[in-house]
Amino acid sequence: MTLVALLRPRLLSLRNVVRRGRMRAATVSGLVVLFWIGCFLLFTHVLGYFHGLGDFGPFLTQRLLVLLFLTFFGILLVSNTVTALTTYYLASEVTPLLAAPLSYRRLHHARFLETVVASSWMVLLVGLPALLAYGVVYRAGPLFYAGAVIPAAVGVLVTTGLVLVFPARGTRDALMVGVGLAVAVLVVAVRLLRPERLADPAGLVGFASLLTGFGVTGYAYLPTTWAAETLLPLLGARPGEPLFYFGMLVSTAAMLFLTSAAVVERVFLTAWSRAQTGHVRAGAAERPLSRWLAFVVRPLPGPPGCLFAKDVTVFLRDASQWSQLLLVSALVGIYLYNFSALPLGDGTPLALAMRDLATILNLGLGAFVTTAVAVRFVFPMVSLEGHAWWILRTAPVPLAQLWWSKFWIGYLPLVVFAELLVATTNGLLHVPFAVTLTFLLTLVPLMAAVVSLGLAFGAAYPRFDTQNAAQIATGFGAILYMLACLGLIALVVALEAWPVSRLLWQARSIGGVPATQLAALLALAGGTGGGTALGAFWVAKRRGLRALARLGGA
Amino acid sequence: MIRLERLRKTYGALVAVDDLSLEVEPGCVFGFLGRNGAGKTTTIRMMMGLLEPTSGTAVLGGHDIRRAPEAAKAVTGYLPDHPFLYDKLTVLEFLRFVAGLYGVRGAEAGERAGLLLEQFGLGRTAGELTETLSYGMRQRLALAAALVHRPRVLVLDEPMVGLDPEGALELRRLVRGLAADGVTIFLSTHSLAVAEELCGRIGIIDGGRLVVVGTLDELRARAGADDGRAISSASLEEVFLGILGAGGNGPA
Repeated sequence: MTLVALLRPRLLSLRNVVRRGRMRAATVSGLVVLFWIGCFLLFTHVLGYFHGLGDFGPFLTQRLLVLLFLTFFGILLVSNTVTALTTYYLASEVTPLLAAPLSYRRLHHARFLETVVASSWMVLLVGLPALLAYGVVYRAGPLFYAGAVIPAAVGVLVTTGLVLVFPARGTRDALMVGVGLAVAVLVVAVRLLRPERLADPAGLVGFASLLTGFGVTGYAYLPTTWAAETLLPLLGARPGEPLFYFGMLVSTAAMLFLTSAAVVERVFLTAWSRAQTGHVRAGAAERPLSRWLAFVVRPLPGPPGCLFAKDVTVFLRDASQWSQLLLVSALVGIYLYNFSALPLGDGTPLALAMRDLATILNLGLGAFVTTAVAVRFVFPMVSLEGHAWWILRTAPVPLAQLWWSKFWIGYLPLVVFAELLVATTNGLLHVPFAVTLTFLLTLVPLMAAVVSLGLAFGAAYPRFDTQNAAQIATGFGAILYMLACLGLIALVVALEAWPVSRLLWQARSIGGVPATQLAALLALAGGTGGGTALGAFWVAKRRGLRALARLGGA
Repeated sequence: MIRLERLRKTYGALVAVDDLSLEVEPGCVFGFLGRNGAGKTTTIRMMMGLLEPTSGTAVLGGHDIRRAPEAAKAVTGYLPDHPFLYDKLTVLEFLRFVAGLYGVRGAEAGERAGLLLEQFGLGRTAGELTETLSYGMRQRLALAAALVHRPRVLVLDEPMVGLDPEGALELRRLVRGLAADGVTIFLSTHSLAVAEELCGRIGIIDGGRLVVVGTLDELRARAGADDGRAISSASLEEVFLGILGAGGNGPA
């Protein structure tokens, strides 16, 4: 059986998906092209800016390239380890391959290629515009794939070792938490580098000295260094031995690939057998979580109480769901830090105008950050019911009651989250209480609309093929959901901009807002922004219920 | 009782179920047979409110599934052909969850769940996550869940698939016992031996149409009339082949 034959099911599936959903494929392709163009323009602009800094510029671009490679390598290493666990030891398609007259070595090669593609495409998506901007597209291709093989081989070896020692599901959970933590730390670290200093030549010196820390010679054994040492002389940035480092990169990739093939060939059946054994936990039939939740839901009526207890239990036991809280926490921390770092306190008219603008935008930004949380926790709600949806649909529970149960489970934490976020950031901006009150009142229907849209899009674009909430949140429907929310939030902010700017102006010019005017402005803001949000909530609810009714069951 | 009234489902030009009507009396085990793709699961999904019929309806325990879906579902237990469960719930939590959906809560739910787990040989796995269960054990758990609210109507879609001989024997005993208690059972199966052993009446569906309904003897007579010869002692397999013909895709 050839390698192409082994990859054929995947390729044919992809072709059929594209054929049967041409509109969707065209939309996704369009979005990807737009993303690429945006990234390319951004990178070109940043690199052009650096090049305009005289002798200092090339040094900075070299260091940034090393940093870029280092980041990609780190992401690939983690992503390959997680992906290899699934493609080698948990995927259902491994069973027929094992039953086929197929050597373990060939099975390794097919799975390896799938691992490389599955875990590297996202990095390629983001990385290609950056490399294009470096003007090396024709040389970047082979380099990228030579670089991608190394983390994939390391990932397969690490995964195989882990599966031999620990149960596969436990390993997957631990890796997911590790990935969540790693991404959160990376996001916070990038923010703490304070990239805004790049816009200020004085601050740039400090940033450059920091980047010097990512020096080429300091990490001589890292493949990222070899990649940079290959590229930089070819770019004409400085002399070097690109062929030697290219040889290092390729030979290391080949050696690691062969090592991983040899190890997998030797231990695959043992590792696979262990991976099939579930994590059996001895002990009491009733776990403490069940007892605690049974106590909590006692005041709730029957089905909503059961659904709440079930959803909380599944959430807490599924590492792919709760580990996303780590990333969300990092994003919230950065959001709050950004507001505290805004240079708005010097009292100049420009600073005051900037503060007013930041205040008006804060409603939208707070709502959008909450939407980013909703896309991870509300949008996947229907998909996570998965093939078990038949249990709910054949139970004597009206569809509307199921919808409301899901709604409240998503809405209550999100509205509290959004209110706290906006109240805190408004406090950091010293926004008048009346404006904060307007925002907090607006968020009540706006978050209801966001959750309602999440359920509607989640039901219209369910993904029953995966139980990984993080994957569900990156699908086509999730992108449409984000765009719909973005449009709604922009509309609400635009509708409230005038009443809010009046409130801000009056608070600053006359030191307070008369009660009658406050009531009028609040009514105007609530009537326009809040009314729009309520309308969106109602429409999304109807659409959501219709989509749920169409879902059927197992 | 179960009554299907001119049930029909079309997908564009394709007619999956065509004008299907039948009635099953209380306490009767009704066998629903047919080739692969004949329309058995589509019929069952419409009966259970998982699929909207193009026209017609199903009445379960006296309640119309389209007009009063909650009332119909409240008296019905259902086991699908592929019973997917919630992987992250334990066996006991899953049973209690399903019991709660049917309004059985608190001590009664715990007591009922405990009894069913013992009855289906799942007592020792009560604290395990359902994702660790084998296919057959998941099938047993889904069956226990279908019975947790003491249904008056039971709809079983391929219940024998995945069960070991002991489990299959237990299920046959259970079906007989429930029928003796007055529960109406609608059983879709590929196992003609099981249908022959358990079912008081049998319906055969082909191409979405109900070809024949009756007791095994009535079916034998019908097959004999079609065949032009008497097959009074024929097995259900022979009757099935006689009615549908051994050609085409062959029997299911």
